[in-house]
Amino acid sequence: MTAPLLDVKNLSVRFPVKRRWGRQSWLYAVDDVSFEVQRGETLAIVGESGSGKTTAALGVARLVANSGGTVDLGGEDFLSLEPEALRQARAKVQVIFQDPYSSLNPRLRAEAIVREPMDSIGTLPGAQRPARVAELFEQVGLRPEQMKLFPHQFSGGQRQRIGIARALATNPELIICDEAVSALDVAVQAQILNLLRRLQRELGLTYLFISHDLGVVQHMSDHIAVMYMGKIVEYADRLSLFNDPRHPYTKALLSAVPSVDRKRKVERLLIPGDPPDPLDPPPGCRFASRCPFVEDACRAAQPPLEPVAAAHTVACIKAGH
Amino acid sequence: MKEPLLKIENLRIELALRGGQTPVIDDLSLELNAGETLSFVGESGCGKSMTALAIMGLLPEGVGSVASGRILFDGRDMARMNDTELRAIRGNEISMIFQEPMTSLNPVYTVGEQIAEVLRRHKGMNKAQAWSRATELLDAVRIPNAKSRVGDYPHQMSGGQRQRVMIAIALACSPKILIADEPTTALDVTVQAQIFDLLRDLGRETGTAIILITHDMGAVAEMADRMVVMYAGRKAEDGPVRTVIDHPRHPYTKGLISCVPHLLAELTEARPDLTEVPGIVPSLASFGDDACLFASRCDMADEQCRTSRPPEVGFGGQNSACWKANQL
Repeated sequence: MTAPLLDVKNLSVRFPVKRRWGRQSWLYAVDDVSFEVQRGETLAIVGESGSGKTTAALGVARLVANSGGTVDLGGEDFLSLEPEALRQARAKVQVIFQDPYSSLNPRLRAEAIVREPMDSIGTLPGAQRPARVAELFEQVGLRPEQMKLFPHQFSGGQRQRIGIARALATNPELIICDEAVSALDVAVQAQILNLLRRLQRELGLTYLFISHDLGVVQHMSDHIAVMYMGKIVEYADRLSLFNDPRHPYTKALLSAVPSVDRKRKVERLLIPGDPPDPLDPPPGCRFASRCPFVEDACRAAQPPLEPVAAAHTVACIKAGH
Repeated sequence: MKEPLLKIENLRIELALRGGQTPVIDDLSLELNAGETLSFVGESGCGKSMTALAIMGLLPEGVGSVASGRILFDGRDMARMNDTELRAIRGNEISMIFQEPMTSLNPVYTVGEQIAEVLRRHKGMNKAQAWSRATELLDAVRIPNAKSRVGDYPHQMSGGQRQRVMIAIALACSPKILIADEPTTALDVTVQAQIFDLLRDLGRETGTAIILITHDMGAVAEMADRMVVMYAGRKAEDGPVRTVIDHPRHPYTKGLISCVPHLLAELTEARPDLTEVPGIVPSLASFGDDACLFASRCDMADEQCRTSRPPEVGFGGQNSACWKANQL
């Protein structure tokens, strides 16, 4: 087996939180998380708001401070790079953001937005950059005359295409898609998803795909990591996760999604209440307070991720049953 | 034959824009029967929320107005009512919950006071009666420990709980119609499932008819009895949910269903590209045109589609405004 492009080990991201009387404590948004992504594949991280999925991705790209662990990207540890080396290495990791309205500078023309990463990292000689911009516009399905327009003159879907072109500008190996289609109408969403899949096939891209939409994840991913309160609770390949989910939280997530497929009759697994306070996580399984199958042992110690099948690990002591 | 609870006839709503009057709802007719759940489906800007606001008499003043057509509720035309008459109906016989539970509640009043306000205004209850009824309602929308939570402020509750409070306010006067405008868009999927279950159960218990506005075909399939697909201010298709999903008679409906990657009963290795609906919705300037407004994005369109507006064709309960409906 070849080495994975991205090998994340024991990644933690914590935020300082001021409490009363000047005390400070740390909120672990991502808590000791490990995963790998093979070259040319898509790993989706799913979970609900506050699960840490976006923070984990930003931690990989080193866009948040206070991270611990190692992020091995094609052989070098991204988290320990010195500033200049980091700037160069950033060419290899690019991000497509959720909101196509606020992630583009309204005062720059589309061509300048797409060119900016090349200018700041210096991946190409200046003279070749305009040609590269034109090539990128074609790749993402925008017309050459649109290069001179400003962001407000584009529709939401077209803006997301500009965001994709910008992410591709430095020939990255890893692209982080952070809820890249969540803000789009369904018809436009289909166009963007097809574009992302075509680009992956043509350019051999590797995606870290952050989404809360399990339908989209089902369509886009090769492997899926399910996060709950900063921890990965289940990791599996696409078919195993959707056809044979093992963790109660994954089961609850999947059963909550309404579907047009009449044959898909899933018993709805209701999880009452809200997640516990992230500043004061319970000592045992973090899902214990909402889990319908909870028993005393669950509250005693955190269950480790253990394999239940090939490429399928679950952090639940009852996963075998 | 029983009269429908709500009947919209040839409704036309115009917005005053720089270029003149633009019809954002054009010749829309539909019926809602007592106790049923009807869904409005479509992309942003198709007019589904605008229709709901028109029913509530909440069109933005000075900008939007009903130009022609009728909105008949219990035989009375709501489009011609004055504010006093509307106020007696709003929140009482027809109520509405909105997309954003964070901003639809007043942050400086407790949730109990906000539920009680509706009861005191419409039901003439005194303070104590309204407060104890508010507690019962919180319990009915399944907020645990309702007795102590009734004195909470909105910021002390989670997003899902706030939406439950909104539902409690909306259902306080046992309305005949509840309009839910994307009630779960801002919520997580497990919370969404809880809110849908709650709406369905409450609808069943109280016999309230529900208008569910959404863009999620899965939610429609699970929640609604009938659906109305809207495109660019016009009705593209309507009919019983199962019939429409199994056999759409309008290419736009077909596109809406097949462009979304759904969770399936059994997932397989096969992952064909999603069906694309090319292009984007037409600009407001073309909304009044005598043509099928979907023609520019439709692969079946021909000269007729581009030059004359398709009439509605009926297929026993299902109606489609498409020249090619017979071929679909």
